[in-house]
Amino acid sequence: MIADITLREFIAGLFLAGGAFFLLASAIGMLRLPDFYCRLHASGNSETLGVMLSFMGLVIYEGLTLTSLKMIMIFLLIFLGNPIGTHILSKAAYKSGHHVWTLEEDAKEEKNHADLPH
Amino acid sequence: MEKESILKDRTIVGSPLTHLFSLGILMFVFWLALSGDFAVKFVVYGLITSAVVAWICYPLLLLPNADGTKKYFALGVSPIAFLCYSMWLLKELVLANIDVVKATVRPELRIDPKVIRFVFRSDNPMAKVLLANSITLTPGTVTMNVTSEGIYEVHALTEGAAEGLLAGAMPRKVAELFGEEFDFTVLKGE
Repeated sequence: MIADITLREFIAGLFLAGGAFFLLASAIGMLRLPDFYCRLHASGNSETLGVMLSFMGLVIYEGLTLTSLKMIMIFLLIFLGNPIGTHILSKAAYKSGHHVWTLEEDAKEEKNHADLPH
Repeated sequence: MEKESILKDRTIVGSPLTHLFSLGILMFVFWLALSGDFAVKFVVYGLITSAVVAWICYPLLLLPNADGTKKYFALGVSPIAFLCYSMWLLKELVLANIDVVKATVRPELRIDPKVIRFVFRSDNPMAKVLLANSITLTPGTVTMNVTSEGIYEVHALTEGAAEGLLAGAMPRKVAELFGEEFDFTVLKGE
């Protein structure tokens, strides 16, 4: 029943829904973006806000207890670790000479492709 | 290095005793949060353990600068200033995230990926780490490489993200946080 939901549960639900939205957007970006580096943006960054909102929702739902303090610790760990992982991946790709996709090159390539005889 | 000489090491920036004390407090709070038991026995165990851990770990948290003349304590920033910076970063994170979601979820992709370069010099290695980490944490920009001369190579997803970073608000905040001179130059071209 709708009447059974307290205000705190409602706010927690809003935060969880926001988190789910950003995680979904991150997944969509992962599928749509053209190259490795752009996909790193989707997977690494948009996810941080999604996870952050989800954890905030859980903390609000739980209230001020030791469990929610531990949740905040897990979140801080993600906050520190996620950019490091993203950076290591992009650094490895960059050092091994992975190509960076740009708009101009894409336009050039499409033109060359159109010039080819069919 | 001998353990005894740490307290008398003149190359450390700040006072080693204060650092040890704050590290011990941090460890003790961590102990209390994880144990959740406030009986005297466990609190005493926690005090002893955190003191030992702080004493052993302190030399590992000392980072030398580029020419090796000074050593910086890795956690040696003012907690209040750091909290202010975190709040500012959180605000930036939300705004930039909304921008990136807008650019990627629309029917046509509005992205213009490119590599931007700039120089940010600082004596404290933690300032470099914090800036690189903050850039990667902000959606739309990922740090690809940081050289020892302080050249940052950053992959920016959208035009707005690149402009926002090159405007220099984030490096300025980091320099202020560590009490360093603001030394920031944008490098053009390849």
